[in-house]
Amino acid sequence: MRKKFLNQSIVSRRDFLKGVTLTGAAALTTPALSARAQQSPTREPAKVVPQPNLAAETQPSPKDPATQSSSGGDFMAEVLNTLDIDYLAMNCASSFRGLHEAIINHTRNKPEILTCPHEEIAVSMAQGYAKIEGKPMAMICHGVVGLQHATMAIYNSWCDRVPVYIMIGNIVEADKRAPGAEWVHSAIDPAALVRDFVKWDDQPASLQHFAESAVRAYKVAMTPPMAPVLLSLDAELQENPIADRDRLRIPKLAKVVPPVGDSGAIAEAAKLLVAAQNPVVICDRMSRTPAGMARLMELAETLQCAVVDQAGRMNFPSRHPLNQGARRGAVVGQADVVLAIEMNDLWGSLNSFSDRIVRSSRPNFKPGTKIITLGSRDLYMKANYQDFGRFNEVDLAIAGDGEASLPALTEQVKRLTDANRKSAFEARGKKLAEAHHAAREQAKADATIGWDASPITTARMCAELYAQIKAEDWSLVGNGIRITWPNRLWNFDKSYRWNGGSGGAGIGYTAPASTGAALANKKHGRISVAIQGDGDLMFVPGTLWTAAHHRIPILYVVHNNRAYHQEYMYLQAMANRHSRGITNAHIGTTLTDPNIDYATVAKGFGVYGEGPITDPKDLGPALKRAVAVVKRGEPALVDVVTDPR
Amino acid sequence: MNKFNRGLVVALGLLMFGAGEAAWSQTAPVGDAANGKRLYLAVGCFTCHGRSGQGGSYNYPAPALAETKLPLEAFKTFLRVGPKDMPAYTESVPRTTRLPTSTHFCARSRGGARQKIFRS
Repeated sequence: MRKKFLNQSIVSRRDFLKGVTLTGAAALTTPALSARAQQSPTREPAKVVPQPNLAAETQPSPKDPATQSSSGGDFMAEVLNTLDIDYLAMNCASSFRGLHEAIINHTRNKPEILTCPHEEIAVSMAQGYAKIEGKPMAMICHGVVGLQHATMAIYNSWCDRVPVYIMIGNIVEADKRAPGAEWVHSAIDPAALVRDFVKWDDQPASLQHFAESAVRAYKVAMTPPMAPVLLSLDAELQENPIADRDRLRIPKLAKVVPPVGDSGAIAEAAKLLVAAQNPVVICDRMSRTPAGMARLMELAETLQCAVVDQAGRMNFPSRHPLNQGARRGAVVGQADVVLAIEMNDLWGSLNSFSDRIVRSSRPNFKPGTKIITLGSRDLYMKANYQDFGRFNEVDLAIAGDGEASLPALTEQVKRLTDANRKSAFEARGKKLAEAHHAAREQAKADATIGWDASPITTARMCAELYAQIKAEDWSLVGNGIRITWPNRLWNFDKSYRWNGGSGGAGIGYTAPASTGAALANKKHGRISVAIQGDGDLMFVPGTLWTAAHHRIPILYVVHNNRAYHQEYMYLQAMANRHSRGITNAHIGTTLTDPNIDYATVAKGFGVYGEGPITDPKDLGPALKRAVAVVKRGEPALVDVVTDPR
Repeated sequence: MNKFNRGLVVALGLLMFGAGEAAWSQTAPVGDAANGKRLYLAVGCFTCHGRSGQGGSYNYPAPALAETKLPLEAFKTFLRVGPKDMPAYTESVPRTTRLPTSTHFCARSRGGARQKIFRS
């Protein structure tokens, strides 16, 4: 019986295989489907409901094919490859599976995909990368929940005026959404979530529309004032076959030319600067390219004027004798002309604010000081988010890109400078140089206070770190709470030594942005270093995995004060107002009990980790070992238990 | 003057010893540096000015207190009023009647090693 049964089974299988050979895929239908087909052999094919708002090529085939020879996603990938975008950071999602598959297979992982465990990491990596590389990284995520994750990082990029090329997936047509996730992850206007802080967005309705919008988005993002842009990509557009590829054309991307300030206004500014006794240049997000620093040096050296670098970018060498950053209060207080270049918060730079029960402020500059602004911020801003800062009256506002306008300004200054002024400039420069050197000597002395203390002082941490990297081609790509010791003591002499801050003060920027910057630095063989706040890292610890996975050489030095210390200080201030003491200020603000072991966290993500270091004598050797790892091309982390600031 | 206020004056006087302000220091009695350090940490001076008085920041830079050259009365005013964003340590804030700024725990360490690091 069993043998008969087996023989019958074998025969049945052979027949089954024979059936597949003769009839192809149709024979692989399930018995249930086959039965249904037999019951209604003349069933009409499903009707296709035309979509009036979408172009012809998005119409699905009336048949029910299992394969296709082309897709909109393939075309989209081809378009992206014309845009000088090297990387695509993502947290993968179904809503862009079409484009994702096209990139990995059709264009062979170009742009190169960077896998990120959180969308915020992807955007922040793009923000840090763009400031070093001078061009955008692309980022793609799910259109609803993914974009919601990404929003804070997009806001940081907006405030920082950095181009990020954002794409999201969405399913526009209701009848094309599967039940469940595809409905809760679709929206009519998904970009509405971020429209207040992206420069431009679109949701293309056809592939030709996509091609034109993709090129336009790049151009808009890269034209100063730069900012993030967003494209919403319909899933059907990505996935469906292309009806006629010959009808599609990818527009050419023209070279982007930044706007230059009005020549008459620049001449007027030059006249004021040359005539001034104590001109001061303040700058924030001025340097867009490596040329920026050299251009500002030329202006400053022509005028022999004080320069205060607010360090939104790497604008001016830290050891230049005209750098008066350590004496900004004094120089602004003595200024008769202030030239503010690409300033984000001019008011905050010129005034002091008193955070007391009755909030008040006072100007830091003398009455009668002439204030000139030069920057692109006035060309474009939005109303809802108040990142533009408090209004500060000025005497001359020149709308134009700061870096692009500097050569014209310097030329005018040189033209107006006669022998008398030159002599006065030289005397002024000499005094400023003396003041700069005195400030630097004071900084060296101040740094030694508490040298051997534990928790370790930030001065000691920065000094030990610099000792390990100063002989390398180093780049400080992140400094979470803007510890001042690097600016006061390290030699920032090249355009990539510093990469600016978050822009929007959204916490969780430093680790991923530093990693993105390190990726840009990698091909130049630079040692990228980030001074990483502990609380900041806890928002995005998955960044460490991305750094390990993509072999990004970067040293994270965790400035571990075991707290959200800024908030601790705010509570302290509140408690003092109420005469209640700080006994409870640790509640909700500290990261203790247990203490987080960042070295173990790092190892868990595949990153070399050491720490916690509590004895300053152990710092140097630990940092040396970690730098050796980074020089081998891998990330490393050293956890340093430090004083709060 | 009660003993608590005297303690404050004495403790602040330690600054004057460190700064060498002869006129005041000639009459200042010796203070309690250990208690000064304890209070400095307990009331939170260290959160902005550092555990060693090395300075730091809140919303604005917080100056180094170690070996400060500020005269006693000016220092008291800063404590009680709080300039800019510094919290005010009025007498009603617990434990601040004896708030000291002992110089010994703010004194700089001496040595040659650190100079090599900065010689660049």
